[in-house]
Amino acid sequence: MPNHKPRLTILALLSSALLISVASTAAAQADGKLAVLEERALKQAAAIVAPSIVRIETVGGLERVDEILAGTGPTTGVVVSADGYIITSSFNFAAKPSSILVSLPDGRRFAARQVASDNLKMLTLIKIDAENLTPAPAAPRDSVRVGQWAIALGRTYETPFPSMSVGIVSALNRIWGKAIQTDAKVSPVNYGGPLVDIEGRVLGVLVPLSPQGKSDAAGVEWYDAGIGFAIPMSDIYDVLDQLKAEKDLHSGLLGITFQTKDLYSTPPMVDHVWYNSPAQKAGIKSGDTIVEVNGAATTRISQVRHALGNAYAGDKIALSVDRDGETIKVDFELAAKLEPYESAFLGILPERLSTVEPAEAAAPAGVGVRYVYANSPAAAAGLQRGDRITKFNDAPQNSAIELRDALSRTRPGEKAVLTFLRNGEPQTAEVELQKITAEIPADLPRSPIPLPAEKNDDSEKTGRLAETLETHAHDLWAFVPDDYNPDYQYALLVWIHPSRNTMEAEMLKRWKQICRERGVILLAPKAGTAETWTPNEIGFIKAAVESFVERYSIDPQRIVLHGFETGAALAQQLAFKERELFPALCLAGAPLAIQPPENRPDFPLQWDFVYGEDDPQGRKIEASIKALEKMRYPVSHRAVPGLGQDYPPEPAIEEVGRWIDALDRI
Amino acid sequence: MKHLLRSCIMILLVCGSMPLANAQDELSPIQEVQTRLVKIFGAGGIGGLHSYSTGFIISPDGYIATVWSHVLDPDVVTVVLGNGLKLDGRIVGAEPQLHLAILKVDADDLPYFDLDDAASAGTGQRVLAFGNMYKVATGDEPVSVMQGVIAAKTRLRARRGAFEVPFDGPVYVVDAITNNPGMGGGVLTTRDGRLLAMIGKELRNAETNTWINYAIPVDELADVAHQIKSGTFRRSDTPKSRTAPPQNYRAIDFGIVLIPDVLNRTPAYIDSLLPGSDAAQQDLRPDDLLLFINGELIQSCKELEAELGRLEESDIVQLVVRRGDSLVSVELEAPEKDEP
Repeated sequence: MPNHKPRLTILALLSSALLISVASTAAAQADGKLAVLEERALKQAAAIVAPSIVRIETVGGLERVDEILAGTGPTTGVVVSADGYIITSSFNFAAKPSSILVSLPDGRRFAARQVASDNLKMLTLIKIDAENLTPAPAAPRDSVRVGQWAIALGRTYETPFPSMSVGIVSALNRIWGKAIQTDAKVSPVNYGGPLVDIEGRVLGVLVPLSPQGKSDAAGVEWYDAGIGFAIPMSDIYDVLDQLKAEKDLHSGLLGITFQTKDLYSTPPMVDHVWYNSPAQKAGIKSGDTIVEVNGAATTRISQVRHALGNAYAGDKIALSVDRDGETIKVDFELAAKLEPYESAFLGILPERLSTVEPAEAAAPAGVGVRYVYANSPAAAAGLQRGDRITKFNDAPQNSAIELRDALSRTRPGEKAVLTFLRNGEPQTAEVELQKITAEIPADLPRSPIPLPAEKNDDSEKTGRLAETLETHAHDLWAFVPDDYNPDYQYALLVWIHPSRNTMEAEMLKRWKQICRERGVILLAPKAGTAETWTPNEIGFIKAAVESFVERYSIDPQRIVLHGFETGAALAQQLAFKERELFPALCLAGAPLAIQPPENRPDFPLQWDFVYGEDDPQGRKIEASIKALEKMRYPVSHRAVPGLGQDYPPEPAIEEVGRWIDALDRI
Repeated sequence: MKHLLRSCIMILLVCGSMPLANAQDELSPIQEVQTRLVKIFGAGGIGGLHSYSTGFIISPDGYIATVWSHVLDPDVVTVVLGNGLKLDGRIVGAEPQLHLAILKVDADDLPYFDLDDAASAGTGQRVLAFGNMYKVATGDEPVSVMQGVIAAKTRLRARRGAFEVPFDGPVYVVDAITNNPGMGGGVLTTRDGRLLAMIGKELRNAETNTWINYAIPVDELADVAHQIKSGTFRRSDTPKSRTAPPQNYRAIDFGIVLIPDVLNRTPAYIDSLLPGSDAAQQDLRPDDLLLFINGELIQSCKELEAELGRLEESDIVQLVVRRGDSLVSVELEAPEKDEP
């Protein structure tokens, strides 16, 4: 059988060739068939839920919401009960329309009313007078898997079938446990619409969300980017009865801040406890470390945020804290609102230390008093310039930072005992603390700026500077007082120019002398096109500020954002976004442009307004001042007689200079 | 046995070699589409304007359809075929209202799309988008391909900057980001490569203010493309938007006094009614909000006046107002106008 072997080999080869070719053809065919079947299944899933998807139209309302041009077009909602309740994204009503209309898939139209909102999940429940509607079926909570098909549906377009985008579930429990994430395209075209699984069950309702933002429009900038969010439908049904009962739902607040801003690598140690907050009522104290929330161990701040991020006001929470090695269990109910934070005020300006002066060396103990405010607790206690405060309620004080922190943990109206040295002799006095003053003393003395030691070649440049920030290929100009002394801490005034005008010459003229007298460095980033700022230039301004903070000696307490007219809106955005960097904001000729965040002890923000008495915006500016005062922010302000919409003249700017000089008051 | 073996071999060769030969000689649907597309380079390149776009060949002798854009500002543009051959493209004609332009290159026997053999698709259907996206494909590199589904087939309501786009015909809206720089003039096809539509310019949805990913169905373009090719095309009249809208009637002509129109979007609330007027007799009331005229949603006083302006004498107007939480329908007749 000599022939057999080769013959068999040929046969084997040919057979395998046949098998491979048949297999690859079959694979291709199967692939094609699968695609057709998948496509059919996706369309059917949309068709199953289509009767529960309604079109929502609105009439009237604002032109812009948070700097975003508000849409006028139709939006989408999902039927949640047969008697006419519809859930949708709160974004769809962010423009505060005067009327809402709903069109059912069968073409009938109804006037709708807003019933209640879920402010934690950014959802709104509306109601129409209709019966026998088809509520959307929810996908069971445990059935949702990362990687499964996810179909985003909307009724924005005038088509009988819902509009459709196909993707997968990208993640679960996103945005502090609130949302399902998908790569299906999610945008104002389908906010309020359902995200459904391949069986036509609703996974969730599409909403814009972002981890940081709290406004109705937060996260909208991510539209169609492959990152979209949906609030799980099962979670919506859980709270539906409360919403139907016209109860607005809110995020649950505890009322604490943590000692570091690092969410991921530090234990959750409590820093401030809000006055009258659930945390204070439950007896949580500064220095406690949260070790457990509702039975789940927490070793990082992010874990606490995750455990509480999806909780509503009114939810009951069980917490365990570690206090000096002892574990203490506390139960409490989360609150919808906290009392606005307000720092207490002693009424002094501290002496500014030289930066080179080693703290441990010859520096005398305590905090030197540079100025005492008239009618302040310090004045009532007889404190004088030159005294040194050594103790506050028995706690030794070695720096202005320490003393300010101690004050931030008390409230106006509380009593405290001060120990201070006068001519080397210790004295004590009881003070009744007040709320922080917004008054700017007319006689505010300048803090002495020591003359610089001999200038060497390494010194940073002084005078008027023009630079290009290399990391951002963007221009800036600045003014650094000629006798700049790196051993003294300067204030930094960050000038955000209005559209179409950098106002360089005018600003230099107004500010040069104040900069020299009060120790202020003026930094003026320039918009990429002289026309106007774009929101993405925030990164450049921040980088410019950081570059100056690194190169010059700057007091972090006195970095001020200063915007005029259209520049003021960007200044506010930046201040709210970068709260750690900017403790003060001065707006010239401009009111509040966006809702400010709440006043916080860990991110204090001081305000100053300067505007013309004849400025048509005057009323709005005055309303802004009142609103901020209500939020317990310290707000200084002045209306300049005879001034319209121009940049304020020298006497008013001189007062702004004094305000900057007093930003470190305690 | 020998005979049997030979037969087996014959069968095997036939079965086995056919797909192999097909794979070598025939192109996949994607490759086939790519050979019919061209890359276009022309004007632009400053102030955020792109200097490149895409076109698709519509005849073997070198007619190319593309999107009407500033890229075509020079009379002659550079056209790069799928095989890398670089040719001069001359603009033969254009219909800006359809966003369509036709170019001609000197070539023969080109692979092309038959405009009369276009497919159509419905919501949820999987599609492919082809184009010179970000001009990342150079020389003979094929254009880029994206996949997505038809999100909707709907009328285009879009704007470019502050200007409404004149074309308001049906478009395919796609759930992939197909309207990227350079994709304009590219094509949308079915998964098996059948031509569906031409990808348009980068535009914003006029109602949601978001960027829109859309393509104009070939059915909308075919007639005009044929006419331009044959030299019989005459441009359509001035777009309607440029002529002043008629102002035949105002709300007051019906006895309706609206609240003062102080905002861009002042809702059309009735302030008062002239006693004895048709509107008063039809039981319209102060504080009613006018929502629909003849089925069209009215979002402001301005829109209401514009709709009434178009009416002719004795036209019947169907109004829907919101009163409290209910909708009330009312019918009015456009009154006779006094002679001027």
